[in-house]
Amino acid sequence: MELYTPVIALAAIAAGFAVFSIVMSVATGPRRYNRAKLDSYECGIEPTPQPIGGGRVPVKYFITAMLFIVFDIEIIFLYPWAVAFDAMGIFGLVEMVLFIATVAIAYVYVWRRGGLEWD
Amino acid sequence: MSFEAPHIEYATLSPLLIVFGVALVGVLVEAFVPRRLRYLVQSVLALVGLVAALAATIWVATDLTVRGDGAARGSIVAEGAIAVDGPSVFVWGTLLLLSLISVLLFAERHLDGGLSAFAGQAAALPGTEAERQASTRGLEHTEVYPLMMFAVAGMMLFPASNDLLTMFVALEILSLPLYLLCGLARRRRLLSQEAALKYFMLGAFSSGFFLYGVALVYGFSGSTHLAAIAEAVNGRIGGQGLLLGGIALIAVGMLFKVGAAPFHSWTPDVYQGAPTAVTAFMAACTKIAAFGALLRLFYVAFGSAERDWTPMIWIVAILTMAVGSVFALSQTDIKRMLAYSSVAHAGFLLVGFVGLHEGGEGISSLQSVLFYLVTYGFMTVGAFAVVTLVRDAGGEANHLARWAGLGKESPLVAGIFAFFLLAMAGIPLTSGFTGKWAVFSSAAQGGAWPLVVIAVLLSVVAAFFYLRVIVLMYFSDPVGDAPAVAVPSILTTVTIAIGLAATVVLGILPGPVLDLAADAGAFIR
Amino acid sequence: MEAEPFIVLSAILFTIGGVGVLTRRNAIVVFMCVELMLNACNLALVTFARVHGNLDGQVAAFFVMVVAAAEVVVGLAIIMTIFRTRRSASVDDASLLKY
Repeated sequence: MELYTPVIALAAIAAGFAVFSIVMSVATGPRRYNRAKLDSYECGIEPTPQPIGGGRVPVKYFITAMLFIVFDIEIIFLYPWAVAFDAMGIFGLVEMVLFIATVAIAYVYVWRRGGLEWD
Repeated sequence: MSFEAPHIEYATLSPLLIVFGVALVGVLVEAFVPRRLRYLVQSVLALVGLVAALAATIWVATDLTVRGDGAARGSIVAEGAIAVDGPSVFVWGTLLLLSLISVLLFAERHLDGGLSAFAGQAAALPGTEAERQASTRGLEHTEVYPLMMFAVAGMMLFPASNDLLTMFVALEILSLPLYLLCGLARRRRLLSQEAALKYFMLGAFSSGFFLYGVALVYGFSGSTHLAAIAEAVNGRIGGQGLLLGGIALIAVGMLFKVGAAPFHSWTPDVYQGAPTAVTAFMAACTKIAAFGALLRLFYVAFGSAERDWTPMIWIVAILTMAVGSVFALSQTDIKRMLAYSSVAHAGFLLVGFVGLHEGGEGISSLQSVLFYLVTYGFMTVGAFAVVTLVRDAGGEANHLARWAGLGKESPLVAGIFAFFLLAMAGIPLTSGFTGKWAVFSSAAQGGAWPLVVIAVLLSVVAAFFYLRVIVLMYFSDPVGDAPAVAVPSILTTVTIAIGLAATVVLGILPGPVLDLAADAGAFIR
Repeated sequence: MEAEPFIVLSAILFTIGGVGVLTRRNAIVVFMCVELMLNACNLALVTFARVHGNLDGQVAAFFVMVVAAAEVVVGLAIIMTIFRTRRSASVDDASLLKY
């Protein structure tokens, strides 16, 4: 039991400190509310006005974002190839063309099915 | 830094390349072929592609080079990333056959007023005017075929990958299309979308675990190649903690895909919510691919650490069989019940897997599991195909109460379903019995006989809930207006017929397929 | 280079992601936590690549990034459909399938 006395004491002190801080700040702190304090963030610029209808964003933004992510990340494979372009020779070139053709197939699908139309 | 261009064996990889190629052509078809022709073009393309891939697989299978002492045949291709060996080719063949009959289910249009089982327009909200219009205009998503082909390609790559990175990429290639396919049902779209969300969330979560396991194992061994990992495990170089943590995390990811308890919770929800054709495909093929990969990973890479992981797999196997058999008893939905039954089957397969019988006397654990997977695949696709037939005004009548008295309503359909259930229960003269016999005997020979005893007891419990459905179909009176049994087109009929034939033949004459599984030999290292 | 701090950091990130998946309700946030897990894996892979002095881990990190991007797209599509149907992205609301 003696082994645990310090642990229990520490826990009691910690709990006491937490309760004391909260109670004291509520009891003694001044309350002066204003508009800025009620905002989500107390610092920085004023938040931009919210869209009508509770912050919904049209789906087309989502679609554009999704397409961007996919086609953007595919570029990642071009970097190592570009670095080792000489060493990879014709094999690397052919494989890269195949890879880009594969991505282009997805692109063609999106384009033909109207994924790129804004309205 | 010198650099050598990698060498790719295109001919040996042709089955994989054909399936990937067909999937890409499928995407182009979606882009350029007019809407009314797409259904025909896509379904024919998928069928032709799968048949071509099957032919290529057979060609590759006859051409495997014998290695070492002759136990294993095949070669490691694509700079060590893919192993094309006996088990790979066997799994490829099985997957392609099951995919072929699943495509027929996908293409079925007779059951729902001339429309496929997939949403007319996934983007149209359920219950809106747009959805009704899409339905009356006869729209349907033919994207399901390329999606399915991508999934098949991933499933083929998964058990053949000889490299943890390839394995991870394959896991994602097979999972991502399945997440989408789950959400594309024409009827009960809320359930379907919810199934997609759950499957996706839990699937992504589990692949995170898998990947962290890969990272730890790489940290342990300094390589992602299975052979190099095996060497490091054998020599016990590097930190033990990394290895054990890695094995555990990878096992979590794998067991999730397999649908083993306690990682099975997605199975009933997803199987129930997904379109039944997708459920059939997914239940059969994902399990086969995942078990193939599980076997390769644990036998080849972690083989010499077996004393570390077998206790864990024992517990998981017992838990899986128990959860599958017991929870299936209380189900009221036929698809959920079949889902729990597939969990139970995963448990039986794990018994075979953990038996670790090397062969010599009788077939090895690997071969018995491969054989069980074939029997399981055909009866599962067949059973789910039958589920698509029992319908009422709202689509499929999946509630078990609606199946009461089906034996009087339609003796043929009820009889076929009863036969599939008996096969799943493992009654002699069905493929379920020979499959169970194979895995249990190999596990017992491997020394896992306590596990086999538990497995036999639990398969008796499991038999009870299959019998409950049969009793319901034959000895209960229909409640209210009995659901109609829709008359399918030739497509679903062929699927059911093939599933039935395979279940009967493998039950009575398992020899040829067992020989084929034995012929697959062992994994190459 | 001392590798341990990086591995510990990646383990912490992975745990934060894992706990987030289990405790958060918003599907998008759950999904962000999954991405955090994948990126923790990336950190571990790159660190181990440095420790072992080979490139395997770095190559793996590339593939993981691409796979994660593909997963984002599929995930967002599914979450968006659910949200449009139900007007809610809370994972607790999706509870039609049970028992």
